[in-house]
Amino acid sequence: MKKIWEKLEKNQYYATIFKNPFTYVTGAVLLSVLQIALLASSGNPWGVSGPFTNWGAWIFEAFGGSVDKWFYFSSAGAQNTLNGGFLNDTGSIQNAGIIIGALAATLLASQFKLKKIKSVKQVIAAVLGGLLMGYGARLAFGCNIGALFSGIASLSLSGWVFALALLVGAFIGSKLLAKFFM
Amino acid sequence: MSEEVKSIQRSGTRAPRKPKKSQIPYGIALVIIIILIGVALSYKSGNLAMFWIFGIGFGFVLQKSRFCFTASFRDPWITGSTSITKAVLIAFAITTIGFTAIKYGAFVNGLPIPGMNYVVPISFATVVGGILFGTGMVIAGGCASGTLMRVGEGFMMQMLALVFFIVGSLLGAYHFGFWKINFISNGTKIFLPDYFGWFGAVVIQFLIIGCIYVAADLWQKKKMGA
Amino acid sequence: MLLQICGRKRKWAHNAERIIKMKEYTLDCLGEACPVPLMKTEKKINSIEVGDVLIVQIDHSCAMKNVPEWARTQGYNVEIDEVGDGEWEVVIEKTK
Repeated sequence: MKKIWEKLEKNQYYATIFKNPFTYVTGAVLLSVLQIALLASSGNPWGVSGPFTNWGAWIFEAFGGSVDKWFYFSSAGAQNTLNGGFLNDTGSIQNAGIIIGALAATLLASQFKLKKIKSVKQVIAAVLGGLLMGYGARLAFGCNIGALFSGIASLSLSGWVFALALLVGAFIGSKLLAKFFM
Repeated sequence: MSEEVKSIQRSGTRAPRKPKKSQIPYGIALVIIIILIGVALSYKSGNLAMFWIFGIGFGFVLQKSRFCFTASFRDPWITGSTSITKAVLIAFAITTIGFTAIKYGAFVNGLPIPGMNYVVPISFATVVGGILFGTGMVIAGGCASGTLMRVGEGFMMQMLALVFFIVGSLLGAYHFGFWKINFISNGTKIFLPDYFGWFGAVVIQFLIIGCIYVAADLWQKKKMGA
Repeated sequence: MLLQICGRKRKWAHNAERIIKMKEYTLDCLGEACPVPLMKTEKKINSIEVGDVLIVQIDHSCAMKNVPEWARTQGYNVEIDEVGDGEWEVVIEKTK
């Protein structure tokens, strides 16, 4: 049995498609194709951070909280999504797909390794970074995918303004990284 | 990549090769599960199955190309490298063409323009949001898509980051009313074709992308010497 | 014929001398988050001498791309070895 996999790993097609990494430009082209296909078939471009807010709301409600009076969730669409639950939310399903798709890519390349957290610094970085991203994404109506990638592709000036702000933020983040988190 | 001629002289101490058990069978098993989930979802709604497959596609491509928007904004500051920045710009250019084609096609036929939900008001909130997000993504070691990708790759640090991304999102939603009243409702949506016409908007966008691309190229040459 | 033998021997001796002088360093970057492996590699390379070899141990998929890319733009010789599932050694020879 083992010999089959060893033989497969030496195959040139396996190497090109599954083993070796793609170039950044190949990635850019493929992601763009997927983005355009998504807009064409669903009427909306790609977005990642929106569903996270729903996930938070569902967990919050599971602990007895309620978001029904929050302005953010006041629209009919938002209420529908919340009531429908995870399995009915297309954005949530898509995000889950991203995780599994990345996992599949890693396994098929035989490159999966569980990487444990190494230090307290990493914990603080993950917590702080996550909070900043989550909060910032709500203010800008999206993240690097929604507000930036989809925003710019949609010919909205908001995308470019967001990009400029990201550049400033990345500068600040780089300084903090070098000083505290290395 | 297996039996190359090694040209760099090394001492005998190579890392002991761990007995490799190929993970490909697990990968294939996962692909079968992915298909089964897709089929199950399609019984609920074809739409859900479609988003599942798109997610799988995005995740697969992101991981294989190690595509990271964080790196595109961070590397110019840390190492001077702009190779990912340029790839991101290429993505912007290609999607602009595709998106505009779809939108213009709808517009010209008198239909409502699709995909306008990311044409959002520009306000102080946009700037603050961007700065917060940019800082956070560099510290956390990944942006929104990058975090999801790395959760799939087995990085426990990004799993933690995801948890707090969710917390931060909920907090942002909680405060959203404040930001909406004080800043966002004073903002303006600027859809470039409304101001420059469809053709003008695309030309301007490509000019911006082109200028930044050249600037990125020069930046790398200056900072890295190549 | 004698000259040929002498010439070959000298080349062998010359190579041996190079191997003895050259130092090999190992940099453990396992478990580090992006872009720490690259930042640590840059720092370390600046501290070693020309001709030395630096072996960077990584388990981050981004690093197995951006570290070799950086090393190549600096003009160094680079090789990547996959030493295990999701683990790589980036071997950099500081050539100048």
